Amino acid sequence: MRGAAHTLKYLLLAAALAYPLLPFRDVYVLHVLVLIMVYMVLAMGLNILPGFCGLLDLGFVGFYGIGAYTAGLLTIHYNMSFWLIVPLAVLNGALFGVLLGAPTLRLVGDYFAIVTFGFSELVVLFLTNEIWLTRGPLGIPGIAPISLDVTWLATLLGVDERWRYAFRGEVPYYYLAMVMVALVFLVMTRVEDSRLGRAWLAIREDPMAAASCGVNLFAYKVIAFAVSTGIGALAGAFLARWTLFISPDMFKFWESFLVLCMVVLGGLGNIRGALVGSAILIALGEVLRVALPKLGLPAETRFLAYGLIMVVIMRFRPHGLFTQVAESTMQSGLIKDLRARIAARRTA
Amino acid sequence: MDAILTVDGVSKRFGGLMALSDVSFAVERGAITGLIGPNGAGKTTMFNCVAGIYTPTDGRILFADGVGEPLNVAGRKPERMTALGVARTFQNIRLFSALTVLDNVRIARHCRTSANFFGSVLRTPSQRAEERAIIDAAMENLDFVGLGETALSPAASLSYGDQRRLEIARALATDPRLILLDEPAAGMNPRETEALVDLIHAILGRGVTVVLIEHDMKLVMRICKRLVVLDHGIKIADGSPQEVRANPDVIEAYLGKGAAHA
Repeated sequence: MRGAAHTLKYLLLAAALAYPLLPFRDVYVLHVLVLIMVYMVLAMGLNILPGFCGLLDLGFVGFYGIGAYTAGLLTIHYNMSFWLIVPLAVLNGALFGVLLGAPTLRLVGDYFAIVTFGFSELVVLFLTNEIWLTRGPLGIPGIAPISLDVTWLATLLGVDERWRYAFRGEVPYYYLAMVMVALVFLVMTRVEDSRLGRAWLAIREDPMAAASCGVNLFAYKVIAFAVSTGIGALAGAFLARWTLFISPDMFKFWESFLVLCMVVLGGLGNIRGALVGSAILIALGEVLRVALPKLGLPAETRFLAYGLIMVVIMRFRPHGLFTQVAESTMQSGLIKDLRARIAARRTA
Repeated sequence: MDAILTVDGVSKRFGGLMALSDVSFAVERGAITGLIGPNGAGKTTMFNCVAGIYTPTDGRILFADGVGEPLNVAGRKPERMTALGVARTFQNIRLFSALTVLDNVRIARHCRTSANFFGSVLRTPSQRAEERAIIDAAMENLDFVGLGETALSPAASLSYGDQRRLEIARALATDPRLILLDEPAAGMNPRETEALVDLIHAILGRGVTVVLIEHDMKLVMRICKRLVVLDHGIKIADGSPQEVRANPDVIEAYLGKGAAHA
């Protein structure tokens, strides 16, 4: 059973890697898959707050927007390379995360949720009204696509050529998105199974006991916020250089809610759950967008379907699809050693 | 007396309620001190003041780690008290119940370790060594309370008595000099209570001073060297179990007016 699940996982991964190279590949399907991967990054980033720390964040999309506009503006004004923009956008997202988090993370529960909600509305208002910087509701069109310039390598090797690869079409973005998802997944699983991740989970489980174990609640919540918002901004930076157009209404409250639904659907605090949740909700959204008009309903009624799904999930699987928290911890080598040691002791 | 903890004129007011008023007592290093009193006497409030959950309205709390000068720690944050060497358990068990037994104790090593975000992501050699040391320390403390074999089970799956022992293991894993046990025997059967007595003596054997709140008078009289009695936030007696047992104010507080002369 376990072996079969493993085989299935590798088969899926192989299929995902091979799909863009197959003759029957479809640009629309590729586009949706890239979109799914963008949301996977968002869901993994958001998962830190409600999933690991038990903080309800309703304003995550604000940081997605900050990342996207950081990338968009740096591209059109300074023609900066994507590879340089990524760390800058992540830092900018984390910076705003700390600026918002430091004064507000002392609030608990609903009060904190309200502040984050207000912040994301503030971001949208700023993007809409500060026309000198953001062009307001017109958005920023004509963002250059990503390019990979390794001419320096050619020079180093003594080849007098320009080794420059410009991303065109969905395929290179597809692979880049896969790398991005894999990296964020790796970071998240490693953090989950560490002193930092345990401190976060302790805060989620019982803040008073966590403080008594020596966890500085405020500092660790701010760190959680910075990491989470940094990942949100990363997804935003990718979005800007992928869709090549950004506007304030791409970062409305609805997006925050959608990402939160993905995390809840997958299971709060479960990283794999965040991935599965994003895949399900984005794929479902696309299916409904096509199916509903055929039934004579406006496409917007798909929001009703999302609501229905959440109700059904809450009724039958209140803890989401994957309920195990700190999953990667149980798979670490140290724990496997310990399991063997305990088993040996029992038989001895 | 070599006092590890000196509570000096501590008061705690919640609005109009004086939960503690001008309470003073000392805790002898290396001994078991009992904090007793009827329900609502302010015992847990006292613990919360010492452990940093509450800031006393008035008064000083001096903690002497045995090396430097005694420090006034009144109003320090809980995590700083833990780092100083004051650990506690809770009256209503507060475990991280979605996590494993091991993880509950590993979290307690937080204040004695230092890996940060970058160390965790890059898995630096020092982070790996630290993780290994955390597991070893956690297992040592779990074995100490007799829960080593359940290390990888969910904390919520333990029996009530074992959950209390796990809380003690978690508190001990912070390397305390002073441990505050809030009703450790509550809800335990006689056999479990007997094992708890052995465990408390073993804790003392590790050089950790014990203060406990307990309602089981037989237990308290048996194991405590000194008792402090609170009633309505006021200290009414203080001394050896024999002295406290004979004190008319204590009898009155527990049994009502007139009982002392009956």
